[in-house]
Amino acid sequence: MRKANRILTVLMFVFLYIPMVVLIVASFNTGKDITNFEGFTFGQYAELFRDKDLLGLLGNSVLIALLSTGISVAFGTLAAVGIHSLKPKMRKAVLSLTNIPMTNPDIVTGVSLSLLFVFVGTGLLSQRESLNFGTLLLAHVTFGLPYVILNVMPKLQQMNPALTDAAMDLGCTPVKAFFKVIIHEIMPGVVSGGIMAFTMSLDDFVISYFVTGSDFVTLPVEIYTYTKKPIHPKVYAMFTLLFGLIFVLMLTMNLLQLRSDRKRASKRPVSRGWKIARRWIAGVAAASMVVGCGFLFVNGRQDKTVLNVYNWGMNMADGTDGTMDLVAEFEKRYPNIDVRMSEYESNEVLYSKLKNGGISVDVIIPSDYMIHRMRNEGMLLELDFDNIPNFSYVDEQFKNPDYDPENKYSVPYTWGTVGILYNTKYVDEADVTGWELMWNEKYAGKILMIDNSRDAFGIAQYLLGYSVNTTDKAELQACADKLAQQRPLVQQYVMDQIYATMENEEAYIAAYYAGDCMLMMEENEDLAFYLPEHQGFNLFTDAMCIPSCATEKEAAELFINFMCDPEISGANMDYICYASPISAAKDYMEEYLAESEIVYPDEELLSKGTSYQFLSEETSRYVEGLYQGATKINSGSVEEQPSGRNFVWLAVAVLAVGVTGWFLFGRKKRKS
Amino acid sequence: MRKNKSVLLSVPYILWMVAFTLIPLCVVGYYALTDPDTGAFTLDNIRDLGMYMPVLGQSVLYSLISAGLCLLLGYPVAYYIAHRTPVMQKILYMLVMLPMCMSFLLRTLAWVGLLQDTGIINNFLDWIGIGRLQLIRTPGAVILGMVYNYLPYMILPLYATLVKIDNRLIEAAEDLGCNSLQTFTKVILPLSVPGIFSGITMVFVPAVSTFYISQKLGGTDTVLIGDLIERLFKQGDNPNLGAVLSLVLMALVLVCTGIMNRLGKDEEGGVIV
Repeated sequence: MRKANRILTVLMFVFLYIPMVVLIVASFNTGKDITNFEGFTFGQYAELFRDKDLLGLLGNSVLIALLSTGISVAFGTLAAVGIHSLKPKMRKAVLSLTNIPMTNPDIVTGVSLSLLFVFVGTGLLSQRESLNFGTLLLAHVTFGLPYVILNVMPKLQQMNPALTDAAMDLGCTPVKAFFKVIIHEIMPGVVSGGIMAFTMSLDDFVISYFVTGSDFVTLPVEIYTYTKKPIHPKVYAMFTLLFGLIFVLMLTMNLLQLRSDRKRASKRPVSRGWKIARRWIAGVAAASMVVGCGFLFVNGRQDKTVLNVYNWGMNMADGTDGTMDLVAEFEKRYPNIDVRMSEYESNEVLYSKLKNGGISVDVIIPSDYMIHRMRNEGMLLELDFDNIPNFSYVDEQFKNPDYDPENKYSVPYTWGTVGILYNTKYVDEADVTGWELMWNEKYAGKILMIDNSRDAFGIAQYLLGYSVNTTDKAELQACADKLAQQRPLVQQYVMDQIYATMENEEAYIAAYYAGDCMLMMEENEDLAFYLPEHQGFNLFTDAMCIPSCATEKEAAELFINFMCDPEISGANMDYICYASPISAAKDYMEEYLAESEIVYPDEELLSKGTSYQFLSEETSRYVEGLYQGATKINSGSVEEQPSGRNFVWLAVAVLAVGVTGWFLFGRKKRKS
Repeated sequence: MRKNKSVLLSVPYILWMVAFTLIPLCVVGYYALTDPDTGAFTLDNIRDLGMYMPVLGQSVLYSLISAGLCLLLGYPVAYYIAHRTPVMQKILYMLVMLPMCMSFLLRTLAWVGLLQDTGIINNFLDWIGIGRLQLIRTPGAVILGMVYNYLPYMILPLYATLVKIDNRLIEAAEDLGCNSLQTFTKVILPLSVPGIFSGITMVFVPAVSTFYISQKLGGTDTVLIGDLIERLFKQGDNPNLGAVLSLVLMALVLVCTGIMNRLGKDEEGGVIV
């Protein structure tokens, strides 16, 4: 019995630590893939320390954790004293109020706070940026407070009330009595509450994810966007360092506590050393708070104009793989502007964020139909083309497009097609006949479907022979049925996650944008791209716009102008592998790209493509609803799944190995 | 006189909590009852709810299974830790806490690397000749992710109650002729009931509302209620429907924690680990 217990405990610890071992090993890997150890290197650590953004995000997380903990501790301790002297009935009510954020699921807390901030900020105060650093801090304080209260309250209850009375009898004012007597009695509760609030704040993802604006992002939120893209191993390096740091911190804290416990046992109430150590800890904490505030103050008071660019994932050259770092280049040319990039996954995410999010960004790069929609809803500002002289480089055919007939709101950034990417090693060439490949049962579980309503419906529409701009509800319903039918075959609905999955051959077939497909084909030679010309395909343009929430319009126009410089555009295309609407940029592009059939299909092929148009507010919402229904909700017909059985076998195998190992190990010990 | 003054200290806190916990829930309620396009009062969002019930049922099922598994796996571990020397207890307690301090996003991502078709486990199985198994994108994988992420939430409260059990009680039971199984079922288990219930609550609540675990480890058939809420807010552009689902989720959790509190009433809350 006891032995079994021991084996199980060891196995559970192995279970808890295996994923972390995987991440730590991955941080020393020369390759990018977590599953394939190619060689040992410290290079990822060097990369990490070169990456100021990543370290800055970590700084942000620490800053918000320190600030929110400081406020929660001060506020919470005082409040606990107040609650303690409330009448029992009232006290009970306040404590159940305190329990709300503790028992509510994080996602509900996050959603409710974000709705409140947007409702009050955007709705009532008409702020441009109702989600910002302040709201993030408010949220963190709100979920940190209960930890402090719930830890301090028991200490107050244990305290002898005569102590305070004695202090006041000896001439203390109530305030003095608090600082001289009460605070010492409740200190352990304050400290443990503070530590809990701090760790919760530092590691919080869900609530922050909902209340974060564009001006201040914490590390967990950014890691979430990282995990949707091919993740850079330097993130694992950071994980390893943090792991080491927290491990050492916890160990020292435990050792210190153990020592003081022992000292206490040997009759000396609190050792002097521990007292001094405590003072030091408090001192360091206070100092780091001051430094943090100072940092924030300096950061807030920068003379530089901050330009927030909101772009698709992996859609601007960033200096990796020998390309030009466009942001750095822009900042070199305009030293007064500090560019901050953030990313969205699809037009729909961008729209949601701008519509509900209460964020402020200065440059966005939506696609054609979305520009039309935003223009209709007054979500875009008119551009001042005097500030964008490089617009003249843009090819005539891209000027005055359907989505912006007078060309007042947008400047084209890239154009391209949506086609099928497939792995020639696994996919029979004979099956590559058209969009029906995405429905081929032979490849069930190996198909990736594009995860946004418009492109997904577009594919169904090409397959069924409908117009991609149909508003006919019966036709749309038929498309939804087609997509629902596809669902059991689909491995995942993806956007940027497609990279890792296709490159390491986890999936064989995917529908995606041509430029990204080119990038993946560079990584894995077996991948090929196919445009079903007989059925039709989407031809899209992404264009730079300034949303009405922008605060730095002039800097945004400078940025747009910069991106239209043929040399810059060419350098950019080298990285993102899309076609530039500026023909002159071809001279600066790598030859193989400029001549690629995939990047620049010929006129005849292009004539088979169609572009999406904005339908109407009502139809868009209708399509979105159908899409969610078809792809996310169980239609009842859940076919047989291997489900848990494999896991049971795996668990049994691991247990068996553990048990035999234990017996072998145990016997050896007994012999010696 | 003095008492009255310190009562005032609680006022700002009460105001704060009302402003940032109660009022936000009212705002959610307001969104739930309005039309996304016009902003007019409507019950349409609630009428659509039936469609999402299977997803809700699935979420509850998975998280109950996870909570049960956590209990089965966590109890022996907590018991083991509680019967070590104090120094060993501290070390093991720390080792259980440690994973909770690391990014759960990255740790879950590591499971993707382990479980996927071209992942570490499958590469190993392929190498020893068993061949690749479908591990990821199954309900089993989602439950595994939940058990992995929330196991410490079960172990810690269980440990806290088990360590408090007076050893003399166990000795008394043994002296009175109980065998080890009887000691366990008659003494230890009943005394650890509060820990069991708070552990189940602490696993169930985050598990039922998760969206990251099912997005990463689940397939197209393992969508959970958290996924839907996240999508409706972040890309579906229908916060009103999302608000309704949030309220449903909250009600569900309230009912569950209510039941758990009633069952394990011997000790209050048990939130503090």
